[in-house]
Amino acid sequence: MASSGKEGEPDMVPMLDMVFQLITFFMLVINFKSASMDLELKLPVVGSARPVDMKGSKDMLVLNINELGQLKVFGEVKEDIEGYIANEGAASRLAVRAKDRDFKDTDDLPSNVVVRADQATPFKLLNRVIKACQDNGFRNFSMKALNKKPGS
Amino acid sequence: MSRRRRKKHDAGGVEVNLTAMLDMAFQLLAFFVLTFKPAPIEGQISLRMPPPQPVVMARTKDKKAGDTNKTVTTGLDSLVISAFPNKSGGLGTMQVFDQPVATLAGLDAELRDKLTAANTPFEQVVIQVHSGLRYDALMSVIDICTRQKMADGKPLSKLSFVELDPDAK
Repeated sequence: MASSGKEGEPDMVPMLDMVFQLITFFMLVINFKSASMDLELKLPVVGSARPVDMKGSKDMLVLNINELGQLKVFGEVKEDIEGYIANEGAASRLAVRAKDRDFKDTDDLPSNVVVRADQATPFKLLNRVIKACQDNGFRNFSMKALNKKPGS
Repeated sequence: MSRRRRKKHDAGGVEVNLTAMLDMAFQLLAFFVLTFKPAPIEGQISLRMPPPQPVVMARTKDKKAGDTNKTVTTGLDSLVISAFPNKSGGLGTMQVFDQPVATLAGLDAELRDKLTAANTPFEQVVIQVHSGLRYDALMSVIDICTRQKMADGKPLSKLSFVELDPDAK
């Protein structure tokens, strides 16, 4: 380049191709739902835990409960657990009523409550959350667990 | 290649500057690489939890001699399991009604006998859980329960929890 005195132009096209392929890969595998999960929790290991069935997926309420019984939603600790669940229940009820006018306040909510609790959480603290959900009309629960120990 | 390019130049062709697009593509790539955090593959146990029902405490004066039923009076359709923790909060002792069960395998056999009997009255399982029992210990009991099948061949899905008094043993 310097010897000939001409301006060298590197061919960018293969690099651009590769970069776009990488971007496509990451776009396909990225999962924004994982933002609702607190990955610091150590879930219990249960052999019969089945993979999440996405067919007929309904509205989901993901509740992360750490070993201190704190409720974390999108990384934020909710101090007023009962108040938060009551709000979510009311929002869910409104959404259902928009589709089904015959839906009554006393009817069970079709939403699914996904409980992600740390394995060391005492039942007393966990039950507080479950009871609050039940009191607000939630009936369908999914208890998250791992099929096998991490790293095995 | 150079000949072709020269021809284009000569013909007044336009050469697209790829640098800007490459910059943008690299920024997108950097974003995706930095935010990429593969979530662990999680499973779940789906439960249909019936509405909370009032629990009647068994009064001490109503207890007969040898009656170890500690807490609840339930309907005929409920099979009652009690789970108590050990010192570390793990699974200690268990009972099916008043009958002690030593191991999870024993619980499995007991439930199978009671739920699959042709004339079984049970439609749901109520787990009385000590307030200090850890979640992983509870899940091991739930695991056994959800493996059970009812007399009609359908899997057991109706479960409910009752919190036991911390002093209960």
